[in-house]
Amino acid sequence: MKPQGITGGSFLFENPATALVMGLCPAIAVTTRVMDALWMSAFVLVVLVLSALFMALIARARVSESGEVQAATLGRQRLGALLITATLTGSIEVLLTAYIPEAIAGMGIYAPLIAVNCLVLSGAERATRAETVANGVADAVASGFGFACCLVLIALVREVLGAGTITLFPVGSFGGTIAVPGLSCDPIRALGLAGGGLLCLGYLAAALRSLQTRRANAMAGKAGVQ
Amino acid sequence: MAERPEQGGHAALIVAPAPHVGIPGSTAGMTWSVVGALAPAAAWGIFMFGAAAVFVLVVSVGTAVLAELLCCLVSGRMTLSDGSAVLTGLVIGLLLSAGCPLYVPAAAAAFAILVVKQSFGGLGRNWMNPALAGVVFAQLSWGASMARWLPARGVAESGGLPPLDALRAAFSTTGWSGRTPLAVLASSGYTFSGLDATVVQWVNAHVLSIVGVSLRPGFFDLLVGHVTGAIGTICVPLLVLGAVALLRRGVMRWQVPVAFLSSFVVLAFLFGGLSTGQGWFAGGAGFQLFSGSLVLTAFFAATDPVTSPLGLRGRWVYGIGLGVLAFVMRFYGSLGDGIPVALVMGNCFVPLIDRATPRRQPENARKGVA
Repeated sequence: MKPQGITGGSFLFENPATALVMGLCPAIAVTTRVMDALWMSAFVLVVLVLSALFMALIARARVSESGEVQAATLGRQRLGALLITATLTGSIEVLLTAYIPEAIAGMGIYAPLIAVNCLVLSGAERATRAETVANGVADAVASGFGFACCLVLIALVREVLGAGTITLFPVGSFGGTIAVPGLSCDPIRALGLAGGGLLCLGYLAAALRSLQTRRANAMAGKAGVQ
Repeated sequence: MAERPEQGGHAALIVAPAPHVGIPGSTAGMTWSVVGALAPAAAWGIFMFGAAAVFVLVVSVGTAVLAELLCCLVSGRMTLSDGSAVLTGLVIGLLLSAGCPLYVPAAAAAFAILVVKQSFGGLGRNWMNPALAGVVFAQLSWGASMARWLPARGVAESGGLPPLDALRAAFSTTGWSGRTPLAVLASSGYTFSGLDATVVQWVNAHVLSIVGVSLRPGFFDLLVGHVTGAIGTICVPLLVLGAVALLRRGVMRWQVPVAFLSSFVVLAFLFGGLSTGQGWFAGGAGFQLFSGSLVLTAFFAATDPVTSPLGLRGRWVYGIGLGVLAFVMRFYGSLGDGIPVALVMGNCFVPLIDRATPRRQPENARKGVA
């Protein structure tokens, strides 16, 4: 896999949530509060990058030992990815429960479910096919950040319009919640429901798709002129 | 939409994209005649609720038109004159209470036009009825604000809730008695207008006493629409009048509303009393038929050609399905009177119904093949 520019890779146009439609359960469920979306993004990012790293290392180790590529069967590869992801998710969840319990409380069941998140699993599997370990990890980072941006953006829209607040981390005298004037008394509650989440995701995906089409057309036009 | 080929002309072979079944008249003519058919019910609502109803209607129609205009400017296609935005705004306004804050009609109309209709490609491509989807969106968002009712002209403060809401309130407390909805309302202290009392008393004394039956107080008010409720839904006779005019002109087809209303009435009659512990055959089918947005939705939203099945069998299936959904949402749902959400859910099944009920080929197409 070639290292790609940030706009062409997993960050923008192959964004796991909007283009590949992966990881939707957490993307809809935890995006009712900005803080939960931030925690979920960070959690997914860490698990994704680490499992991609391990999978890439394992894949390369198999090459170097015997001097030729020993393609692991797809089944073994997936089993490996699943084990690594589950181990990472479980460990991080235990750590978070011990030290930052409010993060786990906000994510609920969706925190342990990262272990079987198809976005993480596919990222780990892609890393085994990367040319170098660095490429595999870079792809995972781009994909994780793309997912994070998507989640936070959706959460921002949904929380501001759907609840009239922005929930962040409490710092000092700041309680962590900003009430949006004019909206917090009678917000558009439909956006806080699951349907509202899908609606936001749909519009985000449509915007990215239209940007991509426009860019492709512009490029085609340029090539035509030359 | 393809124009209907001339029956007696020389047009032996007509090549046109689907749909191949035409209807007489243009889309714009159709929408404007539906707007006209709704006008009497709207006028009655304005008469009952005064200036507040005008504000709600103006805001909902105005927002719908502005939203449509915005989309026209962006897409460069002028579709304002087809009247569909006005119709959408009007239906939304008619389904709302005159007492609701004005951002509710504005948001519902904007959602209907921008999200439900134009995001999917404009009129003909929307897979939900825009107006009803806008109302459901508002119900999900501002349920409490939408339930701010304005008592109708000449109705006492104790009749300030729509009969359906008052019935639900009565059931949620103890101390009600009676088998029919009007009896329960009477036992809970809900009052109808003085005119109703006079008329019902006169009819009972001079007409019905001969056959030994009597009407409950409230019968007349409910029948003519002299009750608190959403602006355009209270007067069922005027809605039916408008619908009959449309049916006669061939703008509307009768199968969906008939199947919808009759399946709802049958279910309400049989099982309506079960949810409140009144037992079988105690749902008060007539009361349920005349309250809430049922009649308006059945005639003016369920018949929307874009979001209803194309074939005859499909229309029957759709109508009966809507009746079942409406029954479930009205008696067991929690979203308003349950009808808008039932219709929107029914809309989701229309592509499936169209696929499952293949249509007979139209008469002229078969002749062409032979």
